[in-house]
Amino acid sequence: MKRPKKSKSASYYTLTDRLAVLRPRILAFALDWVSWGFIAYGVMYLLNKYWYIRHVNFYGRLTLPGWGWPAVIVATFELAMLSHAFTQSIGLNLFGLRLFGPGYAPVPLRQRLARFVAMHVGLVLQPLALFTDRPLGALVHDTEKTGRMVQIAKVKDELPAEKPRKWYATYRGLFLAGLLGLTFWLGWKITAINLQMLVERIGKSGHIWEDLFTPRFTYLTEPVIPGRTFSIVHYMLETIFMAFFATVSGAIVAFPLSFLGARNIMGFNAFGWTVYSVMRTLFNALRSIESILMAVLFAVWVGFGNPFAGALALFLHTIAALSKLYSEQVEAVDPGPLEAIATTGARRWQVVVYGVIPQIIPSYLAFTLYRWDINIRMATIIALVGGGGIGTLLFYFKNEVGRLDDAWNQVGAVIVALVIVVWALDYISARVREKIG
Amino acid sequence: MDELIRVEHLTKVYERGEVLALNDISFTVKRGEFLVLIGLSGSGKSTLLRCINRLIEPTAGRILFDGIDVTRASARQLRQLRRRMAMIFQQFNLVRRSSVLTNVLSGRLGYVNPGASAIHKFPKEDLESAFANLERVGIPEQAYKRADELSGGQQQRVGIARALMQKPDLLMADEPVSALDPATSHSVMQYLEQMNREDGVTVIASLHFLSLARRYGTRILALKDGGIVFEGLPSEIDREKFKEIYGEEAEEVEVR
Repeated sequence: MKRPKKSKSASYYTLTDRLAVLRPRILAFALDWVSWGFIAYGVMYLLNKYWYIRHVNFYGRLTLPGWGWPAVIVATFELAMLSHAFTQSIGLNLFGLRLFGPGYAPVPLRQRLARFVAMHVGLVLQPLALFTDRPLGALVHDTEKTGRMVQIAKVKDELPAEKPRKWYATYRGLFLAGLLGLTFWLGWKITAINLQMLVERIGKSGHIWEDLFTPRFTYLTEPVIPGRTFSIVHYMLETIFMAFFATVSGAIVAFPLSFLGARNIMGFNAFGWTVYSVMRTLFNALRSIESILMAVLFAVWVGFGNPFAGALALFLHTIAALSKLYSEQVEAVDPGPLEAIATTGARRWQVVVYGVIPQIIPSYLAFTLYRWDINIRMATIIALVGGGGIGTLLFYFKNEVGRLDDAWNQVGAVIVALVIVVWALDYISARVREKIG
Repeated sequence: MDELIRVEHLTKVYERGEVLALNDISFTVKRGEFLVLIGLSGSGKSTLLRCINRLIEPTAGRILFDGIDVTRASARQLRQLRRRMAMIFQQFNLVRRSSVLTNVLSGRLGYVNPGASAIHKFPKEDLESAFANLERVGIPEQAYKRADELSGGQQQRVGIARALMQKPDLLMADEPVSALDPATSHSVMQYLEQMNREDGVTVIASLHFLSLARRYGTRILALKDGGIVFEGLPSEIDREKFKEIYGEEAEEVEVR
């Protein structure tokens, strides 16, 4: 296939084309800058931890002089440009770019240095490249065409494949390893991990373990406080049905919604895009609110400890989660049969009924069962915020620890019941999913 | 009117103007013809076929089907036009998890009452003709099997039965036998030939093997880089023309 002919007078590249060439270059540089920025942040944090004798303020935080932050910004910028000019940085690598000489020749060190110096001006002038076809910082892909230019360009498929080097022999491999190490070190410090404390204070929780492993089933079928609370079995049933209601009705609502959130069904016109975007945003927003947070709201709404609150919270979250998973399945269907059914003169929704639904049913069932597992687990602890279910007893006994001698033994009994039920339901759903698979 | 399809200056550009799949193509197809499209992979055969029923939107040019402009048809008109143009595919494009019968019946979706079709209910005569068409392609006993339980050749025959359900004026076959072995290829091609001769359905088929094109086509259209490089009778393709269509290094492979 060849390129379409375009008249000589008109610009060969449209603004979109220029942007398409420029975008990866800008993003690659931004990524390199951000990664150096992260290193700067890490160094500052660690300095703060280990070097707090001087230069700390009242709160024990490292203080910088007035020129400190500008200096950090400039330094990371310089470092990013250095790694951009002299190495195959992670940014360049991620976007498939490389620094080339004319005709894809390798670039000698002297020219790389010149490149680094030129970048100080070039990066600022880069946006101008949007308005011209001249190889301003090499906008045009083909290095053959730009003659003597040294430039960053996409790695072409035709280039002979180089023997890949081991990760520790490349700049980006070492850089990434360094980043990973720094992140781990930071994480260790930020989450206040202290193994010494873990060992020293081992005795503190010793008796709890003992009690938990000698569960007392006093209230297996007897209510704890007659008239106010119920038995373990009762709460367990409440939990199971809460999860069941949330899963089934959530799946029923999510089923039609999933088509509205699938790009291949909604089409590529303005209306389709709008509905698709609104639905996807809604799913993502709703999904990012954990059901336990929703339960806080519903517990106030319908009453603290009312299983209806938990069921509602799980139901809402299930709709969002399943709609997202379902619509991804709809987008992944084989487009061939849809094409075939559309050619018979079928309407769009007939294509969905005959082409899409038969293809997605197995994965719909599998995802629903998977969601049922999640809902069961969630329903066991949703009582923490007043959502009802078995957690009510769990937290009741936990809060009685000072007043009741066998509180931990009672908690143990609840946990045993919980483990058995969750395990059994998991096992069943795993078997069913296997059958569908 | 003798002419079923008239394609005028058809152009299709892909990928933000980077790839020209069809370059200003014009030709006509007469009623009752068996037109074979040949050409290398990527020469634009599939794009051309898909432009005719607008599975792909053409960039420029127009296509007249029985005097009606397909490229300007509204969604409703397009559905009515598509009922008259059936298509079979290289990968058969059956709904794999549905039964053979449902796949065949889906050929009627353009005609039946849409409400009834939503609950998979088809008129009695459609059911009868579905069985009749399965009988015709020689697999009546497979009706209740799932489509993916069938062999490749059988699946393509289901595809043909689905096309027959439309009672089409035109059958487009997009490399119908590329995924099949030579023996099965001939049996599938013979069903197409039968439709062409007995039912008077005009056929446009893209084929990879020139020997098949010579054996079944009444006329041949060769594409290269999105343009027509040859148009004429199968017997007119000699060594020289062959090299022109397929390139200098190509050798002809026979399928018997």
